[in-house]
Amino acid sequence: MDTGIRLALTLSQIGVVMVAVLLTVAALTLLERKVLGWMQDRMGPMEVGPYGILQPVADGLKLFFKEDIIPAGANKFMFSMAPVLSLVPALIGFAVIPFGPDWTVDVGGVNFKPFVITDINVGILYILAFASIGAYGIILGGWSSNSKYSLLGGLRSAAQLISYELNVGLSIVGVLLLSSSLSLVTITNAQAGGFWNWYFFGGGGFPQAVAFIVFIISAVAETNRTPFDLPEAESELVAGFFTEYSGMRFAFFFLAEYGNMILVSCVATVLFFGGWHAPFEFLQGPESIHWVTGIFWFAFKVSSFLFLFFWLRATLPRLRYDQLMRFGWKVLLPIALANIVLTSIVAFLFPGS
Amino acid sequence: MKFREWAKTLLFYEIALGMKATLSHLLHYKPITLQYPHEKKQLPSNYRGMLALLRYDDGTEKCVGCDLCEAACPSRVIRVVSAEVPGEPTKRYSKEYYMDMTRCLFCGLCVKACPVDALGMTQEYEWAVYDKRQLHLNKEQLLAIGDRNFPVREKRLEFQHPNVAYFNVGFKEIPQKEL
Repeated sequence: MDTGIRLALTLSQIGVVMVAVLLTVAALTLLERKVLGWMQDRMGPMEVGPYGILQPVADGLKLFFKEDIIPAGANKFMFSMAPVLSLVPALIGFAVIPFGPDWTVDVGGVNFKPFVITDINVGILYILAFASIGAYGIILGGWSSNSKYSLLGGLRSAAQLISYELNVGLSIVGVLLLSSSLSLVTITNAQAGGFWNWYFFGGGGFPQAVAFIVFIISAVAETNRTPFDLPEAESELVAGFFTEYSGMRFAFFFLAEYGNMILVSCVATVLFFGGWHAPFEFLQGPESIHWVTGIFWFAFKVSSFLFLFFWLRATLPRLRYDQLMRFGWKVLLPIALANIVLTSIVAFLFPGS
Repeated sequence: MKFREWAKTLLFYEIALGMKATLSHLLHYKPITLQYPHEKKQLPSNYRGMLALLRYDDGTEKCVGCDLCEAACPSRVIRVVSAEVPGEPTKRYSKEYYMDMTRCLFCGLCVKACPVDALGMTQEYEWAVYDKRQLHLNKEQLLAIGDRNFPVREKRLEFQHPNVAYFNVGFKEIPQKEL
């Protein structure tokens, strides 16, 4: 009986989160084109529906009914596995993101946390691990297409993802040291009370602003977004690793890219900007409406990061490949390491501050 | 100086400048896009669009079949078959008149060459077709284009100027009478 209730609750929770994420992805595809257009004195999509708001529906329908082409000489198994391999890790990471207050509700004798699917004690490691698996989807997709452009895109993304994953991992170590936990729920709860308790502004004793900058640059690189979109450089590699993909398989890669963007924004929010906590205590409202304000502030912070992604794309040109590697290994890595050293010294000298 | 450059690099000064520029375009949003099929550009009055054959106000064709347009055309768009007007041996007209608009470069030399102003350039430019043979126009089609684009027609030359011979002399060449 308990198992049944738990299963039903968890499944419904997963359903709600998935629908929310996929709807956000749909909105993002439109918003990205709109924001990019506005920044470049254009209008963006205007034809489908009033001001083009039905564009994601039209795109989805088009991709759904498009012919699914498998190129001659492609490794069919790998070719069909790769989009799934990149989509699943992008969506599965949302399982540990706390998007509302850390409540425990008793439903029919089952302890149930309504605002996080599962609070595992190695949440951030889980996200990093699955992000690395997502790289396999890109590499295998590029390799199995039997196309030189795809192969080059896949190789580039392999090198890029490995070097920048390292920086993501190292830049969050400071936060983990200060909160002495890997669980995203615990990390969020440690930042309650006001914006001065957020790890970006110096909660826990040592401001992690530098670590945040390293994290956000590496996150942009890891999601293959401009200015680090070398794996899918349109002007050089047609479309990079998904050159040969069409129809729903292409849609999977597309969903994975935007899902990764949202996931990375959620992680940045949770680790550095206090998750669902408001910048001031009074903005959070009374205890009973914490779930409304919590979800609002969480969504607000995540959308600011998503806007930052668009903003960067509208502004910056693509890096050259050697610049990308040099920047990752010779600039970001030492900064992240220095941040770990400083943070550990502070955490050792003033424990529990 | 060295220190300033270091500080700029560390604080992402150049990137911040660029991001400020893009943000200012977002905040002062003024698109230069023309939503083409829904709104159209105001064409200049001397726009050289689709060619047309014209008529006088009594409905007769202006063209006298002199072949000068065919001679003037640099890309051999025009083909004229000239003939006598039946029953009037002193007058000629174009029995057939073809334009292959796939080759036309809209230079307007035929219009300049015409002695009786029988050719005109309209403001039409939406002539994309699925079959390019539809751009091979005959006389009736060219007259129809002229009819729908030039509703105000000239009088016959002999009624405009009773003292000049009535054909083969261009209106523009005749000294204008002061009214």
